[in-house]
Amino acid sequence: MDPRDRFWRVTAPLGALCVVLTILVVGWSVEPARYQLGYAPEQPIPFSHRIHAGVNGIACEYCHTNADRSRSATVPPLQTCMNCHQFMTLPDKTLQGDIDKVVAARVKSDAPIAWKRVYHMPSYVFFDHRAHVNAKIQCQSCHGRVETLDVQQRLMNMRMGRCLSCHRDPAPYLPPGSPVKKGPTDCYACHR
Amino acid sequence: MDEGMKDQDASSSAPESMSRRRFLSLMAASAAATSACASPDRDTIVPYTKKPSDVVPGVANHYASTYQEGLVAYGVLVKAREGRPIHIEGNDEHPIFAGKTSHRAQAEIMGLYDAERLREPRLGGAPASWEKAQAAVAAALEKAARERKPVLLLTPAVISPARRAAIAALGRVLPGLRHVAWEPALSATERAAAEALYGTPVAPRYRVERAKVLALFEADLLGSMDAAVPAVAGYARGRMPSRPGEPLSRLYAFESRLSLTGTKADARVPVRPSAAAPLAFAVARLLHERHGLALPAGLSAGDLAPFRADRVAKRWGADPAVLSALARDLARAGRESLAVAGPSLPEEAHAAAGLLNAMLGAEGYTLEAAHSVDPGPLASPAEMARLARELAEGKYAAAVFWETNPSYAVSDADGFGAALDKTPLKVCLGLREDETSRRCDAVLPVNHWLESWSDYEASTDLLALQQPLIQPLYDTKQGEEIILGWVKALGAPVETDPRAGLMARWRREVYPVGTLASFDEFWTAAVHDGVLRRDAAARAPRRLRGSAVASSAKKAAAARPGGLELLLEPDYKVWDGRYAGNGWLQELPDPVAKVCWGNFLSVSGADAKTFGLSDGDVAAVKVGGRSVELPVLVQPGQAAGAVFAALGYGRQGDVASGCGASVYPLVADDGSAPFLRSGVSVSGTGARRPLVRSQQEFGLHDRDIVRLWTPGEYARRAKTPEDTEELATLNDEPRWGEHKWGMAIDLSACVGCAGCQVACQSENNVAVVGPEQAARGRNMHWIRNDVYFVGDPANPQVAHEVMLCQQCDDAPCEPVCPVAASVHSEDGLNEQVYNRCIGVRYCEANCPYGARRFNFFDYTSSIQDPAELAFNPEVSVRPRGVAEKCTFCVQRIRNGEQIAKDEGRPLRDGDIRPACAAACPAEAIVFGDLKDPNSRVSRLARSDRGYKVLRELGTRPAVTYLAELKNPAEEKTI
Repeated sequence: MDPRDRFWRVTAPLGALCVVLTILVVGWSVEPARYQLGYAPEQPIPFSHRIHAGVNGIACEYCHTNADRSRSATVPPLQTCMNCHQFMTLPDKTLQGDIDKVVAARVKSDAPIAWKRVYHMPSYVFFDHRAHVNAKIQCQSCHGRVETLDVQQRLMNMRMGRCLSCHRDPAPYLPPGSPVKKGPTDCYACHR
Repeated sequence: MDEGMKDQDASSSAPESMSRRRFLSLMAASAAATSACASPDRDTIVPYTKKPSDVVPGVANHYASTYQEGLVAYGVLVKAREGRPIHIEGNDEHPIFAGKTSHRAQAEIMGLYDAERLREPRLGGAPASWEKAQAAVAAALEKAARERKPVLLLTPAVISPARRAAIAALGRVLPGLRHVAWEPALSATERAAAEALYGTPVAPRYRVERAKVLALFEADLLGSMDAAVPAVAGYARGRMPSRPGEPLSRLYAFESRLSLTGTKADARVPVRPSAAAPLAFAVARLLHERHGLALPAGLSAGDLAPFRADRVAKRWGADPAVLSALARDLARAGRESLAVAGPSLPEEAHAAAGLLNAMLGAEGYTLEAAHSVDPGPLASPAEMARLARELAEGKYAAAVFWETNPSYAVSDADGFGAALDKTPLKVCLGLREDETSRRCDAVLPVNHWLESWSDYEASTDLLALQQPLIQPLYDTKQGEEIILGWVKALGAPVETDPRAGLMARWRREVYPVGTLASFDEFWTAAVHDGVLRRDAAARAPRRLRGSAVASSAKKAAAARPGGLELLLEPDYKVWDGRYAGNGWLQELPDPVAKVCWGNFLSVSGADAKTFGLSDGDVAAVKVGGRSVELPVLVQPGQAAGAVFAALGYGRQGDVASGCGASVYPLVADDGSAPFLRSGVSVSGTGARRPLVRSQQEFGLHDRDIVRLWTPGEYARRAKTPEDTEELATLNDEPRWGEHKWGMAIDLSACVGCAGCQVACQSENNVAVVGPEQAARGRNMHWIRNDVYFVGDPANPQVAHEVMLCQQCDDAPCEPVCPVAASVHSEDGLNEQVYNRCIGVRYCEANCPYGARRFNFFDYTSSIQDPAELAFNPEVSVRPRGVAEKCTFCVQRIRNGEQIAKDEGRPLRDGDIRPACAAACPAEAIVFGDLKDPNSRVSRLARSDRGYKVLRELGTRPAVTYLAELKNPAEEKTI
């Protein structure tokens, strides 16, 4: 075979295929939406949002107290759990036993609980819960129907397109009559 | 650090020799790494178990505290995130510092998270428990007490009542205790002079804001002197006219080195340091003879007879016209004038300056001593030499060094070290390992001041509190607690807990009888404010003793210019050497010479020619039998016949090693002016040590980038039309959103103090690159202070220009970015998006302001634990290979906007202050919304002194500079 022919028939197509495959494989593996949607790690304590927010109707901000005053909504300190759990006993004996154990161990040793992070933000994104919560956007607009989940899982596509689609047209997520017409779309709104 | 840099260099050269296979394997590895990084599993959220009530994760807390350096107690406001201090500003409640602080105090964040800090007590070089270490020291002290043998305690200046109480308690159980307070770079001359001249050793507070005429003799009042921060604020107030014809202060500087203050002088006379006293006496004579001002009792006109202005001026190489102009201005200003002699000068100069102040009635007006505190005597170099002799004789049973380093900072450091070895027990209370702690038997690590409780007596009517921002990072104790631990072990009942002890003393001594508030309320309020004003009787006004002045005048009259003189002063950055391990300060360029990572010998052009030396040549400086080798810097404005070098370098430590040379050996250990030497010889060694400089070009070359105007020029040129008109553009006219951010920088107020640079570094996680990278011009500073010399190199006019990203409306960096990482926001910011940036550096090449920086290496991965705790969590830590630049502190803008929105109010002017503007002691930097016509920045942008740098390029910067005004004396006759 003419070496030039060989180049066009074999080397070039194979090379192109390699490049395309590399792009696809790398792209697929780093595409957060693909493998992170539905991510539901096992937590150190089997906390159920369904029971707390769903069945008992506790407001999100009762526990996530800082959503309206800080960048982070924050996971509550153990103290917050104890606001209720020190006064009540559950009908389910095993569950109550588990809670007693947690309380005994944690409160005595003062050891904090290391929850698995479900919603992960890259370090170059500076998301601010305040802006969203204070604009009266429902938590569920982004986090999905958390009150139906026994195990917290990621229900939101965390790509920038998702942020921008809402920032360009936030009306569907805002309460009627909201003065907010659009969200900032400058890079420095989130990246700095 | 050096080693790390070399490693990185090696890796940067790797791609040249890289095979295709290696490239592909690296690619595969990096792809795997990328997906691994994106895995959410590695992250946990760890909430508090019991949340402190005032901490909200993600929201900063601010706490007032106090930082002592030498004789100054800076009132500071420390910003903490989730319990860790990350940024230091001045305390607004403090009546003297009024929200401002020095660059060195700001850099103390790095001091706290210094990897070289001592982490546990050591006995005989081996780690020991606190109980064991304390017991060992206490046993030795008990033996000394029993045998009535003397014990030495060497501390820095003690201006803290808490520390004074601890030392007094130790003295009560240890009768042989000899406490020596020592500041290696502070001159004891000023205090001795005050004692002789006024009969009281207290130092006055300079009220620069009240002075219309300043006569400074080798006094770097706006730079390296103690009172610099309030002095800069006071000076700036008189230098920001809003229209032509407004009065301006006038600053006369007679100095040998080109100091920061000298760069701002309206009339600067380069003379040798020993000319100061005769020149000042000559001015006094003019004031008396020509302007009829009375001499103080005890001083006759005859005493001033040797100081005929023309003769003195001729003898010392000064312009006689300046002397008569100064006398005229001083006479006109009366008590609104201030004469200061530099701390290094001999007593005669202080007497002469005191005479001027007394004749003008400035005493009590621009110099206030009514509430000054006497900090007690400080050991002079001569006394330290005596101490070394005593140690060598084995006089002391034990020696305790509390945050002092005499094995480095005395003129015979090796001799001191050897003398030290003769003492049976040597104890070191310190933050880091240093030259002294290496020789000590017991090394007891102390808390950083950000981990400590204390109080300071700033003046008799003002107490300042120091409170801890963080639990001690390591197994350390506060110095007072250690000392009181010994007291307790020796059998005296004392409260060793610093907070409890402080509160008990405040309840006893400070809490006013009959206060309505309970003590707890009173205490909480004091801790919150960080300062407490009290009623205190004013001291009787200081009265100058004419007889003391007369004897000084005799000495000054006999002085003649002789051989070469050498002036030594604490370094502007590392000071007496205590900050040598601080990367922020080492890399901060000297405000005038622009040298970083080392010191140098400042030599005038004429002298350099005589010595046959040029920039970077290593010279041997010899005086009094000792010699030090330093690289030469030919400094415009340096007086011929005098050279200058900064103390504080040549330390041994991880960061400081190899940076500069110690000039402490050149400090005289006899005589009354140890930091001023005569009979110095300078000779080349043939070696070269190129200086690391952040700026290479100091000429303006007729470019209109810095405007230096006289008041006359101001009246003539005020806002010529071409300054306001924008050039035509082919781009679309920008449409701004709700705000358009802008900045105004008043060059007339700016003294180039570099406070903004450290503030920016701290706020924006700006990397330290190290001396080798800095030598290649790879400093990462987002804001810099450029210096330009105009006119005669022997005595140039100096212009400072703060340069940062100009946030141009038509930014040249934006269209050249191939990946749109540099784009414009609708509030007028030129955005740099790190996650998009691929590092082609076109933006950097296309920026006419040199405002962009490039991460040649991954500077952050080489950071030693725990320095990463100093990072501001609101700002990205930039990886290798991206460009970066000033963002106008966009994190502060966004936070300010959000707070206003949450509070349901419009943003107020002044709500948002970038770190540089907040730190600027001169208030020269003003930030705000250009869309609001009434904002301060809008008004300044319309100022008739305003101009845009490189306006002719059509970049439309958002930063307006206000021309600097020099106010030279018009008359030129004697």
